[in-house]
Amino acid sequence: MAKDLFLEHHGSELRDLEVIRKRPDENVGLSRTELDKVALESSTGRTLAEALSNIPGVNMLSSGPTINKPVIHGLYGNRILTLNQGIRQEDQQWGTEHAPNLDPFSSDRITVVKGAASVQYGADAMGGVIITEPVELPREGGERGEVRGVGLWNGRGVGGNGSLQGTVTAIRGLGWRVQGGGRYIGDAQAPAYVLSNTGMRESGGSAALGWHRFRGGVDVFYSYFARELGILRASHIGNLTDLRNAIESGDPWYQAPFTYTIEAPRQSVRHHLLKVESSYRITDRNELVLTYGYQADDRQEFDIRRGGRSERPAIDLWLVTHTGDAVFKHFIGKHVHGKVGANGVLQRNSNLPGTGIRPLIPDFQKSSGGVFVLEHMPLGDRLEFEAGARLEVSRLEIGKYDNNDAYITPEHAFVNHAFSVGVNRTFADSAHLRANVSSAYRPPQVSELYSEGLHHGSAAIEIGDPSLASERSLKATIDLNGRALKSKLEWGATVYFDRIANYIYLRPQGYQLTIRGAFPEFAYVATDALLWGLDLSGEFAVGPHWALRSRWSFVRGRDRKLDEWLFQMPSDRGVNSLVWRSQKVGGWRAIEASAISTLVFEQTRFPVGLDFTTPPPGYQLLGFSFSASKPLGKNELRIGIQGSNLLNMTYRDYLDRFRYFADARGSDVSVMVRYSWGAPPAH
Amino acid sequence: MTTNTRIQRVAILLCSATLIFSCKKDTEDPVTPTNPPVNEEELITTVRITFNTLSDAEYKYFVFTDLDGDGGNAPVITADTLSADSIYNMNIEVLNESVSPIDEITQEIIAEGVDHQFFYQVTGANLLLAYGDADANGLPIGQSGSCIAAGPSSGSLKVTLRHQLDKTGSGVSSGDITNAGGDTDVEVTFPAVIQ
Repeated sequence: MAKDLFLEHHGSELRDLEVIRKRPDENVGLSRTELDKVALESSTGRTLAEALSNIPGVNMLSSGPTINKPVIHGLYGNRILTLNQGIRQEDQQWGTEHAPNLDPFSSDRITVVKGAASVQYGADAMGGVIITEPVELPREGGERGEVRGVGLWNGRGVGGNGSLQGTVTAIRGLGWRVQGGGRYIGDAQAPAYVLSNTGMRESGGSAALGWHRFRGGVDVFYSYFARELGILRASHIGNLTDLRNAIESGDPWYQAPFTYTIEAPRQSVRHHLLKVESSYRITDRNELVLTYGYQADDRQEFDIRRGGRSERPAIDLWLVTHTGDAVFKHFIGKHVHGKVGANGVLQRNSNLPGTGIRPLIPDFQKSSGGVFVLEHMPLGDRLEFEAGARLEVSRLEIGKYDNNDAYITPEHAFVNHAFSVGVNRTFADSAHLRANVSSAYRPPQVSELYSEGLHHGSAAIEIGDPSLASERSLKATIDLNGRALKSKLEWGATVYFDRIANYIYLRPQGYQLTIRGAFPEFAYVATDALLWGLDLSGEFAVGPHWALRSRWSFVRGRDRKLDEWLFQMPSDRGVNSLVWRSQKVGGWRAIEASAISTLVFEQTRFPVGLDFTTPPPGYQLLGFSFSASKPLGKNELRIGIQGSNLLNMTYRDYLDRFRYFADARGSDVSVMVRYSWGAPPAH
Repeated sequence: MTTNTRIQRVAILLCSATLIFSCKKDTEDPVTPTNPPVNEEELITTVRITFNTLSDAEYKYFVFTDLDGDGGNAPVITADTLSADSIYNMNIEVLNESVSPIDEITQEIIAEGVDHQFFYQVTGANLLLAYGDADANGLPIGQSGSCIAAGPSSGSLKVTLRHQLDKTGSGVSSGDITNAGGDTDVEVTFPAVIQ
């Protein structure tokens, strides 16, 4: 009885220990980068991908100013995994014009794991994992909260969000948090013209309730996210002639004065997530964690159509996913510890009737189950090994009408395995080495197996191949970081080699004549790919307040079968900043100001004949950033001002699919003000 | 206190059990179709140009048909030979012949005349076309017009239907497609022979 009391009174202390121990545990040998609240706030936070693209090795694949997808080490979409509150995000990532449906403000910390991590996370974690970490609920103390307002100059946008959290004093260990917000942005502005129909509205909210005692606890989390976005009007094209005309003319053919109105072509998505998690400490050193997740993703895409049909969705998909995880965290002997677990996913995709258009992707049901084991062996304080393995079986059942309107129900089964070995080594001079070799897999997407028809966004007829097999990747990563020159220089480097067997991509097959003119035909084919690259980061302290910061990413991708470069690989990119920071000036704290130069080189490594035009030239953009906090008793005021593309440069980016149609966004300034009250979280 | 701990334990285990059982596989199967096959409502299978002499003595047709839509079987293109030194009235019809009754898309196009325009580009043949209709703003739709077939010659006639175009663009109302913009709904090329 005395022991029970003792443990409960020191609950928070034990939790901190758990946090410290948990961190290096996961993905030993893989490079991890965390973006905390301050970093997320100071990234303007237009989109999740934009916020993450400050990390070396992370780029952004766009479809105009509103749709951005993160690219990790050259891979994107279904080749990277997003864990939202610990649940695999399932939201139709097969389309390059489908941005992840999650609110970048719903989390205070986002971690990017740059490496294959299929052992723990299952399919799709080939290039890396984006983890929006759950905000830890308070277990004691009073209410605290914050409100934040954002103003965006380019697009004349406003946004705001707020959160409130606290505990229920009547029930010990019961904490809660509610959060909500939204944004309202109009047409983006390129230096020479308005990018018509690129407005966006977002709204979202979440509620969490958790009850924790030393032995265990239960967490319930629900979030809703809705986004309505316009797609550049001039990017809507009828056939190959239109696309050629757009490329040759240079300027978008449709330009209108600034407006907040969003018209077809547009997208409207809603995403619900419900998570229930329970943990139970069976003994002091062994814990069982069970998690269930429910996601419903509603995606509607509206096209420009005849006869007043523009108000009817052209694509109307309803995707429901159930995920279940059981993880047993344990110790074997004194030092060896790890996890064994099982995961299951059941997913159903339905095309809702009423579109008047044959579905681009069919209805399907996907089920998968996997088991894994991941063990750590520390040898002293400075050396740690990790090894893990996973086996997963998945089944895909399709229901679709063929060309003769006969209903067919093909089935696919995939058996995949993954392993990982890693080492962490800390050297005497506090240099740190992580090395990891791991495999990952990705069963082919329904779109890759069964697409058949015109993809309006890309003016191409896309043909799937039902015989495609799973992609398999083997990735080796070496990550080194440390300090040099009497700790004046902080440096980090990541080198990786990623071999992907059955790398699936679209390859042109010639032309098809239709009543709307000629269209290029593309087929999904598989090849063997090799990706390699280098991420560099460094910060040199020039004086007590000044520092030079530099971050570089280099990615290369080869098609080993055809001996040519891979399509749509990020070009070399460097972000260099001059930073001034001070802990205290007058009443202000944590002041940081920086001048930022973003340098993007022309992509000279591309396959000939796969694209409609050659890559655009490189560019350099200048920006600035300023942030500071003012403590007001127990409360705090924080302000941030950001500027990007200050010289209003006209440029187009190779990874922007709308570079065929229009220039990228011109100069932009954003202002953020946050006011938080109540005691800040204990560190 | 011990009872309390035990109750806690049971509560947590019960929650966990619910979780495990809720992961059981759904028995629903996609084998039975939930919805009938979709009729492509905006599908265009056929473009037909009718040329008739002013006396209605002679009817000539240019027809482009692709009954199974994009992909599948290749489209069929037929074009009658036009008579030299003739003046024709001309009109174009856009149809979906894959459904019964046949969908007269032409009516939809005329109803949304301000958002549509046909363009006719002649290469090689001695063929001259002129718009003969107008939308609510007095700008041509190009669904009907007139046509002069001059001396014997051969070449091609390319017909383009643009949707949501810029009808006030330079030269657009006189039939120059260069500054029209918009999306292409139809783009077909016929062989044009005048004898």
